[in-house]
Amino acid sequence: MTTRDVSFTLNGRPATLTVEPRQTLADAVRQHLGLTGTHLGCEHGVCGACTVLLDGDAIRGCLMLAVQAESLSITTIEGASPPEGLGVIQDAMQRHHALQCGFCSPGMVLALEALFAHTPCPGEDEIREAISGNLCRCTGYQPIVAAALSVAEKNRANLGAAAPSA
Amino acid sequence: MIGQRVLRVEDKRFLRGEGRYVADIALPFMREAYVLRSPQPHAKIVSFDASAALALEGVDAVYTAADLPASLTPIPCRIPTHGDMTPFLQYPLARDVVRFVGEPIAVIVASSRALAEDAAELVAIEFEPLPVVADAAAALDPATPKMYPPGNIATQWGFDLGKVDDAFAQADIVVEKSFSIQRHSAMPLETRGLIASYDKARSYLEVWGPTKVPHTNRAMLARMLGMRDGDIRFAEPDVGGSFGARGEFYPEDIFIPYFAMKLGKPIRWIEDRQEHFASINHSRECTFDVKASANKDGRITAFDVVLVADLGAYIRTHGDVVPSHAAASFPGPYAIRNYRVKATAALSNKTPSGTLRAPGMFEANFAREQIIDMMAEKLGMDRAEIRRRNLIKPDEMPWYVGTQSVNRPTLFDSGDFPGLFEESVSHFGWSAPLAKGEGPVRRGRGIVALVEPSGFGPFESARIEIDPAGFATIFTGASNQGQGHETMLPQVAAEVLGIAHDRFRVRHGDTAMIPYGGGSYASRTAVMGANAVHRAALAVKAKALAAAAQMLQAKEEELTLDGGRVIVTANPSRFVTLAHIARVLTPGNAELVPAPKDFIKDDHDGLTGEVFLRAIPSGTAVFSVHMADVALDIGTGELKIERYCVSGDVGRAINPMIVEGQLVGGVAQGIGGALLEELAYDEDGNLQTGSFADYLLPSSHEVPRIEALVVEKAKSLSNDLGVKGCGEIGISGVAAVLANAIAHALGTGARPTTLPLTAERLLDLVEPRP
Repeated sequence: MTTRDVSFTLNGRPATLTVEPRQTLADAVRQHLGLTGTHLGCEHGVCGACTVLLDGDAIRGCLMLAVQAESLSITTIEGASPPEGLGVIQDAMQRHHALQCGFCSPGMVLALEALFAHTPCPGEDEIREAISGNLCRCTGYQPIVAAALSVAEKNRANLGAAAPSA
Repeated sequence: MIGQRVLRVEDKRFLRGEGRYVADIALPFMREAYVLRSPQPHAKIVSFDASAALALEGVDAVYTAADLPASLTPIPCRIPTHGDMTPFLQYPLARDVVRFVGEPIAVIVASSRALAEDAAELVAIEFEPLPVVADAAAALDPATPKMYPPGNIATQWGFDLGKVDDAFAQADIVVEKSFSIQRHSAMPLETRGLIASYDKARSYLEVWGPTKVPHTNRAMLARMLGMRDGDIRFAEPDVGGSFGARGEFYPEDIFIPYFAMKLGKPIRWIEDRQEHFASINHSRECTFDVKASANKDGRITAFDVVLVADLGAYIRTHGDVVPSHAAASFPGPYAIRNYRVKATAALSNKTPSGTLRAPGMFEANFAREQIIDMMAEKLGMDRAEIRRRNLIKPDEMPWYVGTQSVNRPTLFDSGDFPGLFEESVSHFGWSAPLAKGEGPVRRGRGIVALVEPSGFGPFESARIEIDPAGFATIFTGASNQGQGHETMLPQVAAEVLGIAHDRFRVRHGDTAMIPYGGGSYASRTAVMGANAVHRAALAVKAKALAAAAQMLQAKEEELTLDGGRVIVTANPSRFVTLAHIARVLTPGNAELVPAPKDFIKDDHDGLTGEVFLRAIPSGTAVFSVHMADVALDIGTGELKIERYCVSGDVGRAINPMIVEGQLVGGVAQGIGGALLEELAYDEDGNLQTGSFADYLLPSSHEVPRIEALVVEKAKSLSNDLGVKGCGEIGISGVAAVLANAIAHALGTGARPTTLPLTAERLLDLVEPRP
């Protein structure tokens, strides 16, 4: 099997990998770099467990080939987490019991990171839409939505922004 | 600590992506396996040629049944069944016949999973198709060709309690209806997987990935391979959900470890999702023909049930437990003494069937609670009222239904069913008027009551060790698939010992650390696991008090354990900490046990406590009420759940936040089973479901806000903590309550009797068609 080199920014640092052209981005970060926080739940692009950020947008790590990442910036859950402890969204998810088995959680955190990056104070409908491509089998989503709403509330207080109609 | 909403300690690693699931583990020189599965529902294997696959560079082996020990038995059924299941058992790898799409035929081991899949495409297998038994109806038809010499029926059994025929003859009303529950499964977000590694020289086989019942399955592997229990370690990693489906002793659980031994290198097998649809135990598929009678006063006088379950192509480890539970518990929380059931476990050319959260109960509740609504309608009685008049009363407890399942009597040890029922009805506002439907929208309200047997034994173990720095480790025989045991069990121990819960660690699911364990199912970790931890903590406390009495030169009755310290009650400035006691009780410490002068003697065994608890066979029972308001668009069939409330009397909530999470998450999973999920087969036995685009799991758009009402009304009388569990009640009533709400919305007597309740099916119920 032929291989190719691919260079991209991974979690803020330059990375060069030698991969098979058919290898997915999710497999590449897991197998070549040991970044196993990117989970594979379906490999069909449906469940969202493999969500990573591509230049800040949430994408499926299982639907993108590693070679397509050339020159792009990828953030996995390892890069999105603070060096110690929990980030704002992660902390809210813990406080609202927004996870049980934890398998969907990294993808869920990143889907919410992408949402909050451009919508600091989302309403419930926007939150449900943002995580609608991330399946969770344990929680029924309710506490995830509640966690995200609490972050929105905090952002609103910090920004002094008006509540969105949603 | 018990009863507090303590945040989960395990969350941090999961949220940071630091959870360690089986696919995240790798070993030196590890190879990857791909399981080649049957594309045929029923066929003879005429020829098998793997030479082209083996020629591929990087392919180590292509193993078939011929590579397994000649003496290997089929996978035994480990749960008591109705009758002999021997003729219907599955060999780990197919020998000469395959009986379902997905049956393992060969295992390809290569340097990578991708390469193993490439190699699989080069394996040439010639099949000779055999006649297919498509479903239970075909299995019951004598004209259908036999899958097995005894036929296509694994077993039939029944109960006939009271005087059912007399009750029907004397009743004021009789209703009848048939119900059909579709084949679906637990569908955890993480697929299954295993890594097996064998140290041949030291005879030590290690397997990562087993969960739910690692000790039970280790013993099965040892027995099947003729190995010693102590030569095998099963270790549970983090697990991405189970919901009942991860505890079978699956074919892979035998052949992956065995081939790792044979190859002499570690082998990792990680199932992909498409494979999972065909290989995880399926569940739920069954039909109920129900006849029921009542008097004008609303008193239900009899149930007569014909239950037919389609268990798929083989009987596996869980036997006929699912229809067995359904048959034993069909009367639910009602005081019914005339009950007859005839149950049939049929075989078909589909994936074998096993357990899924609330096994048999989700199904039985769907049928029974609709029949009760039909009786209310016929009597012109309020649907809450008819339930109220039939609930088992507190002074009738303990209530023995009169049935047994897997050798356990169906017995409710305690309960205030009417108390929780009234609280639920009042909380929901059952009698409040429904908003009027606008245009094609019809609104309806549903209510169901149910009882979930829980907390089964036979036993559970716990060991607590306090170290000289005052940190504690709990070793539990329960296993963990995300429920929160690493937080909940320390709460129980902290309650006794006064050590902060975050000074504990919990070790679970590892047979090398834990000699005996029962595992996790049927809410047994709260009931059995937590009670074992509680008693182990009491043992630690007793030992600490005895040592402190010596250390403080006081009598034990003068001492109090408080906040991790043993104090002299009358003079709190005199105390010793548990850390100090642990130091003194360390073997070899001379403070209380000086070295003997001339002969060896017993030493301390640390500040530790270990217990093994036996359960009463019937466990305990959780009562629950579900209520929902729905809006049905009779033009499109679209169903909106406008309000959902689930209540449960859990006896005692160790961590109410986790309990609510179980209830809400259970309802969400039930919404999938009620409205969306189906493992569909065509009439030729081909599985049509291959991805989450076909098998729809509820997303954030389908699951509405769910209210969970957790109450502690009637503590269990069969355990110290009084806990009853909470894992199953959330899912158990969902299909039933939505069906009742839909029938109420239609208001025509039409009733959704076939799951899942798709828009198409709901439209078919609309008369006249708009």
